Amino acid sequence: MATDNATDGGFGEVSRVRGIVFEYLSLGASVAGLVALGVLLVYVAIDAFDLADASPEWLLTYFLTLVVPFLAFCLYSAGDRAVTRRALGVLGGGLVAVAALFTAVEAFVVEIPRLSWQLTYLFVVAAPVTAYLAYVGSRGRVGAVGFGLVGRLVGGAAIGLAVGTLFLVFDELVWFLAYTLGVFPAAVLYAYGRWRSAGRAMTAAAPVGLVGIVAAVFLRGVIATYPSDLLIYIWTLAVPIAVVGAVVVDGRGSRIAAAAAGGVPLAVATAGGFLAGGFGVPGPTALIVLIAVGVPTAVYVHRAIDEGDGLIGLGLPFLLVVGALVGALVVEAWGVPAPDPWLDVGFVTGSPSRTAADAGLYPAIVGSVIIIALVAVLSFVLGVGTSIFLEEYTAESGLIGSLTRLLQVNIANLAAIPSVVYGLLGLGLFANLLGLGFGTAVTASLTLSLLILPITIISAQEAIRSVPEDLRRGSDAMGATRWQTTKNVVLPEALPGILTGTILALGRAIGETAPLIMIGAATTVFSAPDSLFSKFSAMPMQIYAWAGFPQAEFRYGVVAAGVITLLVILVGMNGTAILLRNRAERGN
Amino acid sequence: MSNTETSDSLITTDVETGANERSATTDATAVAARDLDVYYGDEQAIDGVSMEIPENRVTALIGPSGCGKSTFLRCINRMNDMIEICRVEGDVEFGGKNVYDADVDPVALRRKIGMVFQKPNPFPKSIRDNVAYGLKIQGFDGDVDERVEESLKGAALWDEVKDQLGSSGLELSGGQQQRLCIARAIAPDPEVILMDEPTSALDPVAASKIEDLIDDLAEEYTVIIVTHNMQQAARISDRTAVFLTGGRLVEYDDTTKIFEDPEEQRVEDYITGKFG
Repeated sequence: MATDNATDGGFGEVSRVRGIVFEYLSLGASVAGLVALGVLLVYVAIDAFDLADASPEWLLTYFLTLVVPFLAFCLYSAGDRAVTRRALGVLGGGLVAVAALFTAVEAFVVEIPRLSWQLTYLFVVAAPVTAYLAYVGSRGRVGAVGFGLVGRLVGGAAIGLAVGTLFLVFDELVWFLAYTLGVFPAAVLYAYGRWRSAGRAMTAAAPVGLVGIVAAVFLRGVIATYPSDLLIYIWTLAVPIAVVGAVVVDGRGSRIAAAAAGGVPLAVATAGGFLAGGFGVPGPTALIVLIAVGVPTAVYVHRAIDEGDGLIGLGLPFLLVVGALVGALVVEAWGVPAPDPWLDVGFVTGSPSRTAADAGLYPAIVGSVIIIALVAVLSFVLGVGTSIFLEEYTAESGLIGSLTRLLQVNIANLAAIPSVVYGLLGLGLFANLLGLGFGTAVTASLTLSLLILPITIISAQEAIRSVPEDLRRGSDAMGATRWQTTKNVVLPEALPGILTGTILALGRAIGETAPLIMIGAATTVFSAPDSLFSKFSAMPMQIYAWAGFPQAEFRYGVVAAGVITLLVILVGMNGTAILLRNRAERGN
Repeated sequence: MSNTETSDSLITTDVETGANERSATTDATAVAARDLDVYYGDEQAIDGVSMEIPENRVTALIGPSGCGKSTFLRCINRMNDMIEICRVEGDVEFGGKNVYDADVDPVALRRKIGMVFQKPNPFPKSIRDNVAYGLKIQGFDGDVDERVEESLKGAALWDEVKDQLGSSGLELSGGQQQRLCIARAIAPDPEVILMDEPTSALDPVAASKIEDLIDDLAEEYTVIIVTHNMQQAARISDRTAVFLTGGRLVEYDDTTKIFEDPEEQRVEDYITGKFG
């Protein structure tokens, strides 16, 4: 017995062999998997950047200027979570800012020869105003934005449409007059009324604005001289944006941050606008791009300085940029031959080509991004709607209960159906029956949404089910209707879980090829889709097509570059989504 | 602190406060049950209960577990409707109207009757939003912040949280959370407040604060409280109803009478702890 053992040295031993074997087997398996993936990625990266052909001097130079400082930074930041967090944030934010800048320039400067006023206005005024309304309506809680947004999007779109129509019918000179005589005085009156709580001033704002706008239409022909385009842009677009930015930030935090958020981008945009004229870039366009990217950058940097923690993390992008520049200078001065990477600016911005050196992925990137954005919206709205209905609105017993259970089983089964079958469904339903066209972006989006809908529904159901019953009863006892309980209590609490499921499902959708082939998506298109009904290609399809090319350059270099691009975009999208989810979690 | 005297009274069995402070003159009836039967499936949870609950008084429902006192409480604001197998027969009158009549909207009914649960269940929202919740869903168009302040003062929580109205209600201690739930319940200004063992998940100090609060609430509201704690019932209530197994109302009278000189032997046995 135990007491006997206790006398001669302890209580005896209990075998833990199985547990230990299991522990190390699992550890070994995961490490092996990670290492295999890492090795593959290294090979792909070597191919994509043509590092195999690089001279030792070249490698050494960049090793010293780029890799060593980066590793040193990693070592330094490993001990300080705040620095790591800041570095990741600023690096990710920097990537997004650069991408936004690039997309804006690409979209408005190259693709569309002349930027239309109405589009600019939608982009610069209607969108931020909508976002601001959503933000205020939700009192800054991300959880509620999802719902506030739906209502306010409609309102924002209506405002945008109304203003857009103004531009379609009239020219920018009318807008200049309407803004100066109507919109501006009305806004000032309204702000004054809010500030002094003078109801009469607020009431007067609308008629004054209306009279001013009507007067502008008649005065257009009477007035002969107008300021230049650039000045109109700054006065009617850049200044209001800066003011709105300053007010928003002022409401949230310090006065200095407000001044920075309003002033810095405005100054940069104005200077950029005048300078850009000299460089031959259409001035107002550059101004918009700068202000759009400038506001968030200024706010972020200011907040980082304000909070003070992990400030050194801000240095990482600086370190990388300077390292690359120094490396390039040294290589240039030394006269070392540089390798010719497949993944370069031309690859990301160019169209596919017969020669490997000119091949580009741009149309496929745009196609993939459009599809994923649509799929995200569709599957989120439909999936969350269905799961709310199933969890909150259907009875658990009786005929309805049986029907619900039948529905549940079927949804679970749908998740297991091969994607080719969904492709066939999309072909029959969306392309043929509804006539949305073969291989169009909208057909692809609807098909992929159907494909991931079961996963979204099931995970959203799980999240909704995990909301404590106490909270629902508490809300019911207050006299809330079921809709009010769902909207105010259940959904905000379930949102992080719902987002997790949606993120996982989107990851699957972006990599799908089979259903796209079934609905007739092209493997290669030479210009980016410019509407939902144009032919498109997606990144996985383009990469797959390249892998079948006879030339070795395609199969090794170009495919590798495509894979790296696909991975970067996927990780970027998932990272953004996870960030959003974490904020929603903290909001709770 | 004020809780020293109240925690003293925890160990005494004397009957004090409550009943003595408020005059025992005849009152208007706030809630009345007539021949109420409640079934969960085939099982009968309440058996022929009839009682009249007076306005602006604290009425305690006591009895052993499973005696139907919580079920009775949930009949008043029709929270039993949420339980699919639950079936109610008989009348529960509130404001002279049977709440189980076909033309009564249970949601509208619940807006006139506040409820506090056994486990504090503040919403994962800010303290302000928690209290303002009822106002929000009822489309209150007055000064919300003023109401929030009044309600928090009414729940004796204002001084503790006035500087952190924006922080989450879940960051409060258990006792504070329960008082937050009380503030939430009184914010829309209901006529009746139902409390389902509001202190059983709390420590004695927090519980005594809630007890003091219930005493104050009876000035303005009709309070109906389910409790397992006999001393608590004796301390805070004006009237006490004793339910015993089978969902029967065995005795219902002034609290002093129940605790000093009950009619029924079974009630005396229960109160003195011979069973239950």
